[in-house]
Amino acid sequence: MQRNVFWEIIMSLEKIRRIDDNRLEVPNDYKPGMRTNGIIFADAVLEKGLEPSCIEQVANVAILPGIVGSSLAMPDIHTGYGFPIGGVAAFDLDEGIISPGGVGYDINCGVRLLRSNLKRSEVSPKIGELIDALYNAIPAGVGSKGRIRLGPADEKKVLIKGARWAIEEGYGTAADLDKTESGGCIEGADPSLISDKAYERGRAQQGTLGSGNHFIEVQYIDEIYDDAVANAIGLFKDHVTVMIHTGSRGFGHQVCTDFLEVMAGALKKYNIALPDKELACAPFKSKEAQAYLAAMRAAANYAWANRQCLMHWTREAFISFFRISPGQLGMGLVYDVAHNIAKVEEHVIDGRKRKLVVHRKGATRAFPPGHPELPEIYRNLGQPVIIPGDMGRASFILVGTEKGKLETFSSACHGAGRILSRHEAIRRAKGRAIRRELEDKGIFVRSAGREILAEEMPEAYKDVTNVVDVVHNAGIALKVARLRPMGVVKG
Amino acid sequence: MDYEQIDISGDVGIRAWGRDCAEAWANAGIGMFSLVTDLSKIGNNRLVEIAIKADSSEGLLVRYLNELIFHLDTYNFIGNRIDIVAFSEDSLRAFVYGAEFDPSLHEQRLLLKAATYHNIRIAKMAEQCVVEVIFDI
Repeated sequence: MQRNVFWEIIMSLEKIRRIDDNRLEVPNDYKPGMRTNGIIFADAVLEKGLEPSCIEQVANVAILPGIVGSSLAMPDIHTGYGFPIGGVAAFDLDEGIISPGGVGYDINCGVRLLRSNLKRSEVSPKIGELIDALYNAIPAGVGSKGRIRLGPADEKKVLIKGARWAIEEGYGTAADLDKTESGGCIEGADPSLISDKAYERGRAQQGTLGSGNHFIEVQYIDEIYDDAVANAIGLFKDHVTVMIHTGSRGFGHQVCTDFLEVMAGALKKYNIALPDKELACAPFKSKEAQAYLAAMRAAANYAWANRQCLMHWTREAFISFFRISPGQLGMGLVYDVAHNIAKVEEHVIDGRKRKLVVHRKGATRAFPPGHPELPEIYRNLGQPVIIPGDMGRASFILVGTEKGKLETFSSACHGAGRILSRHEAIRRAKGRAIRRELEDKGIFVRSAGREILAEEMPEAYKDVTNVVDVVHNAGIALKVARLRPMGVVKG
Repeated sequence: MDYEQIDISGDVGIRAWGRDCAEAWANAGIGMFSLVTDLSKIGNNRLVEIAIKADSSEGLLVRYLNELIFHLDTYNFIGNRIDIVAFSEDSLRAFVYGAEFDPSLHEQRLLLKAATYHNIRIAKMAEQCVVEVIFDI
């Protein structure tokens, strides 16, 4: 490590203070202008890997007007644009702001988990062919064309109805909506605020996986930590599950690009001084902020429709491959969560109920037991939290808690968090056959791009077990089950 | 080569240079397309015209690259030659020559979400211009 980088890290770590085994505080005098402190959920191991730039970002978010509570970061924190990835920040609706950087370019990037009646022993001998079948059934990769073409009227319906549109088109059943965050559709989307460019980008991308860190993974449940919750949500040891990770595709990316420009223009108008241009924002009640919110909701709905379509084709591929009926397959949706989104939610602050706009960028909602928004079947348990790891190691299911409600606006981590840059990952992968290494572990990967495996190899990411243990030990969400990869489809 | 890749966390950037800013910006566009596929396999039978304005040079650079990303993502258009025919502090007109990307024929490298303002740099010197832009992938 270069000397100046080493000292940069030391000097920024000197200024933060450890609260307990799982929490660090970024004090409110870490830098000028902070209205509150920052709290980073991290143990001693993860603390060693904290980049000074992401600590800076936690502090910068604390400068934004109208922030309520602390500027929070989950243990998978890494440097993003403006807000850190793994960042959670809530703002007052009257005094506060909304920021597209607090959501991300991939609006409603998220993940859903499907359970099944299939056992690992039935699937394992055929995993290579199954992954091939899924790869052929699911449009994925740079420049790939989807199976769906949306005319303008249809596209508007997708933006207003979200996953409900997909169900109406025959991609799944109404029962799926109950197990989707926000019922797969947020009210308040406004298609008239969407640019022509976003419409055009979204026309042929509905029902596509994308590329990068998006994937469909076939897994098996190898450990149950909470029998009661696991049973209730249909997860049993050795059963096969599927995780689908993707977002709003080019449609959402264009919406973010469009509104970052709008917000940049609004900064002078509202006299907001920012430590970082990428925190571009507007007062929540302003015209610009409300327009972004309505457009963001449209993009979120696009993503929920997308994951619904991909789930439907995944189910079809399994039914066809194993030649069994839907009833025998039992591929039910466990839950679907967003991890790049801003939500208006009611939270109790100092004994008083308040509506806040909660930004979660690379962070997952984790509602506690008893929350009215949960489907009846989960209401006593808490909300399932789906945490994809890297493709070599493990993924986890957690459940939301009362403690999380009090400490993190009901938020938890979203995944493993990158530690290696792409070049570093590719460099370390040179001379290694990543695909073969994974196959030797029994994990089969099909990917559209060639170098994607090196970029996405397991060591490029933090150990998700470490990340999830911090969340569990801090009590903000609790472990329910661990899943191991069997096969992966990547774009 | 008139451009190179920059390594940053989970994303990617391009540093491009030229004898003047128009050339540097043209090379930034080509560099960006090279992140997506092998340009030596891309023909020249399509033309896209870009004409944009912005409030600042940085805004102009980001908007120009995002226009290219729009054509890429919507029409699978890949450019391998860019002529910037009009260029000022706040406006730009360019002709982009290229062809349609076909995943069954052309190498699939990176999927670009957007050009960002993150660590953006534009440096104009006597004999050359250098720019750096980071892309969200």
